Amino acid sequence: MEHKPIALLLAGIWGIVAILPLFFGSTNFIMHILIMCLIWSVVASCWDLIMGFAGIFSFGQVAFFVIGAYSSAILSAKFGIAPIFAVFCAGGIAAALGILVGLPCLKLKGAYIALVTFAVHMILEPVLKGTIGRALGTGGSRGILTIAPMKIFGFTFSSSNPVPYFYLMLLVAIICSAIIFIVIKSKWGTAFLALKDAEDFASCLGVSSYKYKLMVFALTSFLTGMIGGFYAHYIGMLSTRMLGIDLFVTLMIILVIGGVGKFPGAIIGAFITIAFNEMLSPIGPYRPIILGAMVVMLVLILPDGIVGLVEKLFPKKQHELTH
Amino acid sequence: MLKITNVTKKFGELTAVNNLSFEVAKGQVFGIAGPNGAGKSTLYNMISGLYSFEGSITFNNQSLGGLPPHKIAKLGISRTFQIPQTFPSLNVEKSIGVGNHFGSKDGFEQKYVDKILEFTNLADKRKAMAGQLNLLDKKMLMIGAALATKPEILMLDEPMAGSNATEIIKLMDLIQHINQDLKVTIIIIEHFMKVLTQLTQELLIIETGTKICCGDPVTTTNDPRVIKCYLGDSRD
Repeated sequence: MEHKPIALLLAGIWGIVAILPLFFGSTNFIMHILIMCLIWSVVASCWDLIMGFAGIFSFGQVAFFVIGAYSSAILSAKFGIAPIFAVFCAGGIAAALGILVGLPCLKLKGAYIALVTFAVHMILEPVLKGTIGRALGTGGSRGILTIAPMKIFGFTFSSSNPVPYFYLMLLVAIICSAIIFIVIKSKWGTAFLALKDAEDFASCLGVSSYKYKLMVFALTSFLTGMIGGFYAHYIGMLSTRMLGIDLFVTLMIILVIGGVGKFPGAIIGAFITIAFNEMLSPIGPYRPIILGAMVVMLVLILPDGIVGLVEKLFPKKQHELTH
Repeated sequence: MLKITNVTKKFGELTAVNNLSFEVAKGQVFGIAGPNGAGKSTLYNMISGLYSFEGSITFNNQSLGGLPPHKIAKLGISRTFQIPQTFPSLNVEKSIGVGNHFGSKDGFEQKYVDKILEFTNLADKRKAMAGQLNLLDKKMLMIGAALATKPEILMLDEPMAGSNATEIIKLMDLIQHINQDLKVTIIIIEHFMKVLTQLTQELLIIETGTKICCGDPVTTTNDPRVIKCYLGDSRD
């Protein structure tokens, strides 16, 4: 997509989301779901930036989210760092680990990167539950049961009154999407696309594949880790259950619905998927089956997600080619 | 300006380039020919930093050993690929912009990109996506992006492959313009001997990674060793 429609779409999405509390503000349950939508929209957008846009099959996004959540919780509990600073430190820790994971991936291509990054996801659970994790303060398999709530200028954001936290998360999500948009629009974005399309040619034209690949690892894991921190201080407790397959699959569905590489599709995807998932909750054990069937259908019918569908319905003028 | 001294490249048991030495002078059009699998593209991959090598390659007296491709591009060595490589996610103007943004010492200059668009005859297709172009335009785009880095040397890898007679004439014309108007030294790998004898001032023939001979193109193409390596032994 060209840049202007992306900016307009972003403005439209955030405009609509901003007025939702007018209708649902009194229902805590719905506000909670909307906060979750905002959190997952950031995680999914980051995943889309690294996978859909830069073409790096990183499957470690949930792992960075969990690393950020645990880091922020531990930093605030053990070192008394205020949650609002702890979340940025958590982003920094996730970014450092992201670069560390990115380094071996520089030498790898395609599916092998998926294997390496998913290995991080796989390792994380035993580490958090084991002696190393307990020494760091993860609480082992019990998890962390009390996490300080977010406090800014003496105002405490409690989960029993979700509207203020909703607006805080909206602000964070807007900033994150603006950062991603600026990156896509900038020289970085061109470098990512060039490296994805033809790496050898791009590097022979002066694009440093090391630099830009590590940059995308650092940026996406920073934002993901930071939003993980915001999640931890909102929910108030953490366990390794987040590393189960559910969350990972949900994120995948978000990307498929939104459209891979079709930013800001991931944001729309997050709202649709999370809301739909909640609506299906009365059918209990049949929910995963329905969701699974939906993914198969969507991949077949809408291979480029909702944004792809919009592009098909309103095609931009094709530039005449004189052959 | 580009000096290759005793360069060897081995892939396991296979020696793709064997103790090869030659020198390219500034302003030249330097041709490289040889049968398929002679090690011509391997040679380009070593000069442009995609492959490591044994021996020494220097550019303006600076050693290229161990430098990554993007640094070599910045020094002023640019190249194209035998199978046209383009950026389907980018349009023509942006594709050329990649070379100018990242490869040129002077940074991005819209004027220079416009100049290259005119030069490669792509100005009216600047907003077309790179994937939509025909083969000739894809080649032009690849050459354009390489030129946008403001190279001192441009290495072309079989630019005529798959082109018809008119296209070959167009490409030869472009190559001559690049050499004479933009003052870029050119190294060209090619199979068409006629192209090589018309374009080049010096011609290197290699076979199985070894130098057969090197010199002025007419003498070289008549060298019995060259005829033997292309056509086999004569019967008389």
